[in-house]
Amino acid sequence: METVIYICLGLMLIFGVMAVMLHSMTKSAIALAAASAALGIIMYEMGAVWTALIEISVCSGLVTVIFISAISLSNMDKKELEKVYEDKKRMSLLPVILIVSGVVLVIAAISAGVSLPEANQTVNTSGDLREILWNNRQADIWGQIIIMITGSAAVVVLFRERD
Amino acid sequence: MSAMAYIAVSFLVVPLIIIIINNLISRKAAGKVSLYMACACAVIQMASSVTDFFLLSAKHLHEYKFTLLWNMEEAGAEHFGVTSLSLVILFCIGFVSLISVLIAFKTIEHKKISYVNLLMTLILGMNGMVIVTDLFSLYVFLEIVGISSFVLIAMFQSETGLEGAFKYLVMSALASIFILTGLSFIFMYTGSLQYSQIGDILSVKDGSQQTLIYAAVILLISGFAVKTGSVPFHSWLPDAHQSADTAVSVLLSGIVIKVAGIYSFIVLTNLFSGVPAINLTLAIMGIVSIVTGALLALRQTHFKRIVAYSSVSQMGYILLGISTGSTLGLVGAVAHIFNHATFKSTLFANAAALHEQTGTLDINEMGGLQKKMPVTGFSNIAAFLSTAGIPPFAGFWSKLLIIMALWKNSMQVYAGIALFSSILTAAYFLRMQKKVFFGKVPAKYAELKEIGGSIKFAEIMLTIVIIGAGVCFPLALMYLKGRGIL
Repeated sequence: METVIYICLGLMLIFGVMAVMLHSMTKSAIALAAASAALGIIMYEMGAVWTALIEISVCSGLVTVIFISAISLSNMDKKELEKVYEDKKRMSLLPVILIVSGVVLVIAAISAGVSLPEANQTVNTSGDLREILWNNRQADIWGQIIIMITGSAAVVVLFRERD
Repeated sequence: MSAMAYIAVSFLVVPLIIIIINNLISRKAAGKVSLYMACACAVIQMASSVTDFFLLSAKHLHEYKFTLLWNMEEAGAEHFGVTSLSLVILFCIGFVSLISVLIAFKTIEHKKISYVNLLMTLILGMNGMVIVTDLFSLYVFLEIVGISSFVLIAMFQSETGLEGAFKYLVMSALASIFILTGLSFIFMYTGSLQYSQIGDILSVKDGSQQTLIYAAVILLISGFAVKTGSVPFHSWLPDAHQSADTAVSVLLSGIVIKVAGIYSFIVLTNLFSGVPAINLTLAIMGIVSIVTGALLALRQTHFKRIVAYSSVSQMGYILLGISTGSTLGLVGAVAHIFNHATFKSTLFANAAALHEQTGTLDINEMGGLQKKMPVTGFSNIAAFLSTAGIPPFAGFWSKLLIIMALWKNSMQVYAGIALFSSILTAAYFLRMQKKVFFGKVPAKYAELKEIGGSIKFAEIMLTIVIIGAGVCFPLALMYLKGRGIL
């Protein structure tokens, strides 16, 4: 189980770096979704089943759809975008360094047999999903809705020329 | 459902409705009415918080808990709550948002719709932070505040704006990591993040894992200190304030740093009152912020940078008030939150007026503008006297309460330094006042006229509030004494 977690941690780093470094907004959003999916697997492996499902469905699925929809609304010229990234050659080694570091860390963690911290035993994770979402974490559901609205507004305003 | 419940629910529902209307109507219509809708939202929030405050007071309740949309009548299912303290903060959020919109009428020509969308999400984030009853929910809404602020700084895509926004984003991400890790430690130790449960669990647990709680507290203090802009985590604040549009700067300085940072510190000190190191850390951070912020403000030549460093310094006073752990100190801190919101809003409204009329905010390029812009000059004097804590302006009373609380808690050295630093505050504002408003008018400003419209209205309104709050402050103290709070 721990090997899967470490591999997923490595994948998260790789896709995270790709999300930041890729020049295409669409590819970047997809890389972010992949990083989120890897996080979902880690959560599932650690016993947070419902959280994993939400991470994969909302963060990896729904948010990516919203991001790509918002990107399609923006009209930034691709050539203009390339100009912004003129210094890409200077930064080209950074993702490689980060990815290699991630892989080395994963191998080191597996070979050293680092154990994961144990969660508090009093935490009750057996609740029904509906109960958890609609009753226990109602405030966070509101927060999630507002974060999605904010994300959409952010992409539109930052990548659209003017109102 | 009681009137109180409807009013409390409006803190989240009204901004959401504004976002929906703003995006559903045609862009042409939205461009015309969006700022007016934002104005209405801010005014409704101010009216709601005042009404709820007096309803709460009339019913002799400490807290009113409520839920939204589903299970509204079910007791024990509440996820939100308002107290007298949170209602004061909610009023400040509405007030500063109103000033921001009044400034935006003049300073924002394009992207009005996006500005209103993001202002509403920012208000939602701040309101959410203040009314939630769970540390994780606080973090979720804190993220909304962070994202909205970042985009508001960057949205006009000037080079300095993007740089300021990037610094804010990096520091904000760092703060989020600290806070989330701290929350994880608390959850590992207590198994709950509910405000009402954490204190109870900590009191019955044995001390075997105290290190975990100390680590959590250190991480949380560091994270919230970044959000507050306290020294040594203040580097992002002047850049972000300077580079953003003034309508955004007023939000950042007037309310965002207070809700994202200071309010979180108040929650933290309430939950971990048994950890004395928190109060000492806040006191040291407060005193260092007061002195460093004031000394750095003395060296600046950009109007907004002086005001930004002044915010760093004034946040120190609020931290000192909280660090006393006494009711008097907390009342002083909350009063200073309100006063700081008013005088910083005034100074940023003045910055907008000066920039609109002169095209610069470099104080070395200005001079003698009191004759040309008497309203701006007078409101600037009122704001700086209040900031420096000169009686009878509002700032005097809140600083007095903080210093009295420090003295009563045997923190005389801190009280002495805080008192001495008021001289530094007066010094950097006198320098600014002299360079901008006194002396000879440069030839290029010979034809300069006073600003008109919404900014002039904001300046006059804020000056009245600063003077009025100072005059009426003893009445507020008598009211608190009558309720047995002081």
